[in-house]
Amino acid sequence: MIFANGKLLPDSRRREVIADLETAVNEVRMGPRLEAETVIAAVDALGKRLAGGEFDQLLAQFLPANVTLDDLLPLLSRETIEAKLAAELGPDPFGDRPFPRTTARVLPLGTLLHIAPGNMPGLPVYTALEGLLTGNVNLLKLPHGDKGLSLAALRLLVEQEPRLAPYLYAFDLPSKEQGDLKALAALADGLVTWGSDRAILAARSLAPAGCKLIEWGHRLSFAYVSGYEDKSSELSSLAAHIIETGQRLCSSCQVIFLNTDRWEEGKAFCRDLLPYLEKAASLRPGRGAGAQAVLSGQTALLERIIEGRAKGEVLYPSKGCSVILRPDRELELSPMEGNVLVKLLPQEELLSTLRRQKGRLQTAGLICSPESREALTALLSQAGLTRITRAAAMSAAFPGESHDGESPLRRYLRIVDIES
Amino acid sequence: MLSRQRLFWRPKTYDLLGSDKAFVRACRDNCAYHIKHCPGYAAICRHLGFSPDRLQTIEDLSAIPVIPTLFFKRKALFSMPQWRMAMKVTSSGTSGKYSRIGFDWGCILAEAPMVVNLGFRHHLVSPKPAHCVILGYKPHKSNHTGVTRTMFGLTHFSPPLSRTYALNLVDGAYVPDLDAVAEALRKLERSSFPTRVIGFPSYLWFGLQRMEELGLRITLPKGSRIILAGGWKQHADQEVDKKTLYALVKSVLGIPEGNINELFGAVEHPVFYNTCEKHHFHIPIYGRVIIRDPDTLESLPTGQVGLVNLISPLMTATPTLSVMTDDLGYLTPGDKCGCGIQSPYLTILGRVGMRDIQTCAAGAAELLGKGDAF
Repeated sequence: MIFANGKLLPDSRRREVIADLETAVNEVRMGPRLEAETVIAAVDALGKRLAGGEFDQLLAQFLPANVTLDDLLPLLSRETIEAKLAAELGPDPFGDRPFPRTTARVLPLGTLLHIAPGNMPGLPVYTALEGLLTGNVNLLKLPHGDKGLSLAALRLLVEQEPRLAPYLYAFDLPSKEQGDLKALAALADGLVTWGSDRAILAARSLAPAGCKLIEWGHRLSFAYVSGYEDKSSELSSLAAHIIETGQRLCSSCQVIFLNTDRWEEGKAFCRDLLPYLEKAASLRPGRGAGAQAVLSGQTALLERIIEGRAKGEVLYPSKGCSVILRPDRELELSPMEGNVLVKLLPQEELLSTLRRQKGRLQTAGLICSPESREALTALLSQAGLTRITRAAAMSAAFPGESHDGESPLRRYLRIVDIES
Repeated sequence: MLSRQRLFWRPKTYDLLGSDKAFVRACRDNCAYHIKHCPGYAAICRHLGFSPDRLQTIEDLSAIPVIPTLFFKRKALFSMPQWRMAMKVTSSGTSGKYSRIGFDWGCILAEAPMVVNLGFRHHLVSPKPAHCVILGYKPHKSNHTGVTRTMFGLTHFSPPLSRTYALNLVDGAYVPDLDAVAEALRKLERSSFPTRVIGFPSYLWFGLQRMEELGLRITLPKGSRIILAGGWKQHADQEVDKKTLYALVKSVLGIPEGNINELFGAVEHPVFYNTCEKHHFHIPIYGRVIIRDPDTLESLPTGQVGLVNLISPLMTATPTLSVMTDDLGYLTPGDKCGCGIQSPYLTILGRVGMRDIQTCAAGAAELLGKGDAF
């Protein structure tokens, strides 16, 4: 389906819609500016209706089992959005700034093409909302596998505030339709890409020269353990985080690094962690989750054997989860689903090791004694991490936090200097 | 690999006990062959401390290293050079990733008696020509999926008079046209030859619903059959109860429940499982099924629900001797069925739902030299 100017249209009309898009977009851009307040009021009202359960049936139809919008709902309130604007753009986000000979005026970048991610329901809409807040026209390429949630959400948003209609277009467009994608990219002032390196490289080849590239690539996160404040509670929180996120998010813990060089300490840590992980895994609903963990773990083990990388590792399997003590020091993807890697990484080697993954580092869940927290936080920051949290909060959303070390809204705007 | 042919050319297709010895022998030879010719498989057996000599009785089968089908989606393993293979086939890739599996000529030679024997046993073979309506993909040189080849192969159980496909290639992409199928079926009602509707159960369900919407009810000629293969795939969330589907078949196409055959198999385990008259998948002599604990992979006693592990010494081009599906299911003793077949039957409850979405962490690993990321 296609969502164009407030209407849902069949895919068969895609070419026609794209052909008329330039004229439509130019017309909108010549008109009055879309005020952030219009967007905030619409989103806030819609968020209240969502929280009130008005759309529960609709959501049940589109959301995969076990997935809720609980994490996204708080983002849809006036307070959160206003706080986000203030955090990213300052107290007067769109106000003119006078200089001795000029005035700096903040304007939307213009037209954004969003290549939206498929790994979290709601994110395609969220990226479009960021574009709307900054007054841009948003063209959205929906991810493969979006079962209609995004289209339904956009439709509700436009029903709530019809003035948003000309700023929103969404296409259920397979990535192989390069011609149509290029046509959309040709209209864009900014190309916002979320996803894998492959997706980002593919998007770069689409963007015409002069189109600004805004890339939210995939990241890797880990926990760093160097002593404890409250061992039982910290290991239990870390285990819960690993199981609850399935290690599928950029902020999910893939590897637990231990601040030691002693293999025996590594083994002792794995033995300590296993019961916590097993307990967290036993709380997963349904039979399927445990099976996924075991299949994923087994598949990854066979891959490591074939690649000749399984030598020297120690496997600690348990019900629906496992801990794998590995002799190397690299940050890498775990087998996921509750199969976590443990590696030794003494503090002195932390920076040099992590620098090899520069550009991919995101969250470090730091477990340490209170007295070493400040020094370790500084070290992790210097190594290139963009979030440093406690173990329990590795995937939590914090008000005012950056996105992979940047302020997205700022990137969706441009400054015009006008001589007085 | 004579032991394999000896197993597959045995006449009694459901005599599990009588074939146990031959089955174990064929598995032992198959395992030894893969260890000799596939370095990856040899490394797996070595790492897990398994050697084929351990296979002495049917109970020992559970010790064979189990390879999840998920693994074949990420890595291709072959035990012979590609020029020696009869063909390479891919799974349907419902989740966007597919297995690449090689078939050797010996496998094709062994499959022939299996398919013919089971075809006779389940009344699929008929000398009377039939029109075929395929609710699946029209074969094309760009389509290497096993299910497309299987469905085409199934049209040969009786001399095919015509073939109408529900999914045809239009501008390089498969497009479903259920209305054209409904129209073809309406015309075939008046034919003096029976019709065979072969296809995905989901397409049959959608097609029959469409015909109901159009107010189309027909009675296909006597001897017409429905042959279902390939499972519900991406339409799993719309899977309907078998009884509901059979009732709709009877009311819309006029085909009685007794003329509906269901098939089960996988590219990684191409054993020809057929439903009996009570619609149960009994295990034929060519395969064995172990149900494993979804949390630990330990084998479970008959009747308990777990992951379905399929074992067959059929293939030598790819080491698929013991593969773990992501299906949950259970076994029931054959005598509980009542159809007369004594071998246990397998009930599939559905996939464990491997979440197939691309994850952000997985994507980051792609450029880290992990190769086939998922």
